[in-house]
Amino acid sequence: MMLELRHVCKRFTGITAVDDVSFQARPGEITGYLGPNGSGKSTTMKMITGLLETSSGEILFDGRPIRSELLAFKRRIGYVPEEPSLYSHLSGLEYLTMVGQLRELPAQPTAGRIDSLLHLLSLHGDRHVPLSSYSKGMRQKVLLLAALLHNPDLILLDEPFAGLDVPTSLVLRSLIQELAARGKVVLYSAHELGTVERVSSHVVILHRGKVVADDSIERLRTLMSLPTLEEIFSLLAVDQDTAAVSRDIADLIRA
Amino acid sequence: MQKLQFRVLYRQFLFRIVDLELLSAHAEGDSRTLLGQFASLLIYCSVILAALAGIWAANVRNDRVPPLTQLTGAWTMEHFLIATTMLTVGLFAVLSWDSTFPDRRDVLVLGPLPIPTRTLFLAKVAAVASALGLTLAALHLLAGIAWPLALAQYDSAPAPALVFDPSLPPVRAADFPAVMNRDIAPLLQRLAPVSVAPAGPIRAFFAYWIAMLAAGTFMFCCVLAVQGIAAQFLPRRCFLRVSAFLQMAVFCLLVTGYFLQKSPSAVLMTGPRQSWISWIPSYWFAGLYRQLSGSLHPALAPFARRAWLGLLVAVVVTAAAYAASYLRTLRKIVEAPDIAPGYQSRWLPRLGGSFENALAQFSIRSLLRSRHHRMIYAFYLGVGFALAILFLKAPPEIVGPPPSASDPWGQFSVPLLASTIMLMGLWVVGARAVFSLPLDLSANWIFRIMPLSAGSRCLRGRRRALYVLSVAPAWALSAACLVPVWPWRPAVAHLAMLGLLGIILAEFSFAGTQKIPFTCSYLPGKSKFHMIFWLWFLLVAVVLQAAGEERKALESPAASIAILASLGIVAGFCVLRSNWQARSNYAELRFEEEPSDRLLTLDL
Repeated sequence: MMLELRHVCKRFTGITAVDDVSFQARPGEITGYLGPNGSGKSTTMKMITGLLETSSGEILFDGRPIRSELLAFKRRIGYVPEEPSLYSHLSGLEYLTMVGQLRELPAQPTAGRIDSLLHLLSLHGDRHVPLSSYSKGMRQKVLLLAALLHNPDLILLDEPFAGLDVPTSLVLRSLIQELAARGKVVLYSAHELGTVERVSSHVVILHRGKVVADDSIERLRTLMSLPTLEEIFSLLAVDQDTAAVSRDIADLIRA
Repeated sequence: MQKLQFRVLYRQFLFRIVDLELLSAHAEGDSRTLLGQFASLLIYCSVILAALAGIWAANVRNDRVPPLTQLTGAWTMEHFLIATTMLTVGLFAVLSWDSTFPDRRDVLVLGPLPIPTRTLFLAKVAAVASALGLTLAALHLLAGIAWPLALAQYDSAPAPALVFDPSLPPVRAADFPAVMNRDIAPLLQRLAPVSVAPAGPIRAFFAYWIAMLAAGTFMFCCVLAVQGIAAQFLPRRCFLRVSAFLQMAVFCLLVTGYFLQKSPSAVLMTGPRQSWISWIPSYWFAGLYRQLSGSLHPALAPFARRAWLGLLVAVVVTAAAYAASYLRTLRKIVEAPDIAPGYQSRWLPRLGGSFENALAQFSIRSLLRSRHHRMIYAFYLGVGFALAILFLKAPPEIVGPPPSASDPWGQFSVPLLASTIMLMGLWVVGARAVFSLPLDLSANWIFRIMPLSAGSRCLRGRRRALYVLSVAPAWALSAACLVPVWPWRPAVAHLAMLGLLGIILAEFSFAGTQKIPFTCSYLPGKSKFHMIFWLWFLLVAVVLQAAGEERKALESPAASIAILASLGIVAGFCVLRSNWQARSNYAELRFEEEPSDRLLTLDL
């Protein structure tokens, strides 16, 4: 049970968003998927979920191309998207129930499971409130529950910490580690490099649609002789002189 | 600085009325294009109205038609144009309900910026006034030239005073001109003759535009005043709850009222003066047009006075409500949450297996909770009810004599049959139309990552949602109306036929690519205007004919069984056809209206 991308490309009209990306994400391992804004992280995630088709290359799960048995593959994935887009006219409970029904989970045990999960993430009191009234963090929690409700084998998390409060972020960090320890494949994209460094064993760094690093954090530190992931990331994926940009901004607004 | 702020805000508010609120809640596209499309739609209506002016003038304005008939015909058309203008402006005001008053978005986005409240207020008022002006100008672009020419009168016309007493017996519409010219007109003229002054084309032109502007302004102000007064007198949270229902009620009132109105000449001439007619605003502005054109008939004079008074009251009340909304509501909006929290999930019946149930319940909840979709659905239902009432009130020349004059409701008459058929048809077509409009495209990813595909289960989910929201309520309403008043056998036979007809219509809705209701993208410029809907007006004659045939069949058990069997076979065939088309190896589940481009660029 392994996720593998082989020479995956995605071209939109005139733009190559993802360019020849290859990497593997193994069970029991948390793969951090990093890159600046617009580097192609979310596009890759969408291709893995089947939301987008690849322009070329292949995505395999368990050794089989996902497109050959897309429905069977979709039964095994849990996905938290970058944007917390939800049907805001439904309540949290209605949304999770609908997801359970669409996944054809047995009604009674699923209802109990949803109830317990809502309690654990402190959403039970607001379960009948429409999602339009939820804060960003509450919406993120609902997305997380919807992704994990069916006990998926492959978990895709696209910036899952956005908007979460500190206690829930700590819970999520432990949860990701716990799920990986139970043999799940976890691919997780984030901008919080400190968290990635603490959680992930393996990172893939993307820059302008291309993979510029694919290894364990330990080996990258050794190879590049840099002490932190942040410095490795700055060297590989940040083109700008950040201090100079800051100075320029301050000068401009003063003018 | 404030001039620039005003210009920027004015532009934003104006485009938002048309773009985000009116045409699509999530149309983040080109506002100018959408504004152009909206104007095109109204100009298209204007072209039709202008063509109608030519046809009307050719048939009515000639020597063969008596002067009195010409005069009453002109009243009818003037009233029709004013009522149509009021309906269009009223619908515009209802559809832009959320964008005419300041909302939470305005407060949160513009509040932190250094913009004086006065600038904000003036920009909003200017944008609303421009939207109203553009709507009126586009609607009457051609009609505003053609109709004043057609309605212009070059000679004074004799007319009855219409203040006679005692009342004369009613006259059938078809016999009206003959009876009027031969018997009644000389009598009336002798009793109280009136000479209606001529109105030349120049004066008619200005009278036309002023009357239309006044009627449109009145209607717009009335809708705004209703909303503004409710916002001022209800607590903010209560207002947010009530607002959606208020909007829907005004919408239904406008559509139904439009279809139920008669020409003022028809009302004044077919019976004694009835006090209720002086409360119909479209009659007021018909009187106003006559007053402005200088050809006011004494019978319309009170209406013209009411028009001025009504316009004044509406403008003053709206201005007060609008100003108050800026002084008082802005603070309330900041303090209160926009959405009233904490409603208990409503119980919905289980509609099949887990998957089908999810799709059907999602569809039902989406329609019940989305204001935009409810409004569009209400439009279809409003027209359905209005047509049903029109059928019931239609003269016997059109629908045939009632089987029993003493008990017209107790017999299976053509109007009753036709009205239930029409209701069923519009209910199904309306549900089908709203299902095709997306609710929130950015949220449909949840369906796209689910292990579901096109197929019979997807069809069953859609089918259950459509049946629950259209066929079942239309059938139940018909049953509730007919069973208590009709003998049981024809009632049961007709309800069975109606049910089968509903199934046939619903099954036709599933043809083509499969889409989960409310999740597929929709191109505003392509088919925003449901031409299919207008076919229903052409089908009115067919429905009447079918109802006539059904009535004959209901008199004979054998004929009833034959029709039921035929409809049953057709319905069965339609169900099988839909099932066959929905086979997963044949059908495609689509979330984009346009299929993805099959051509790939070579990037050479």
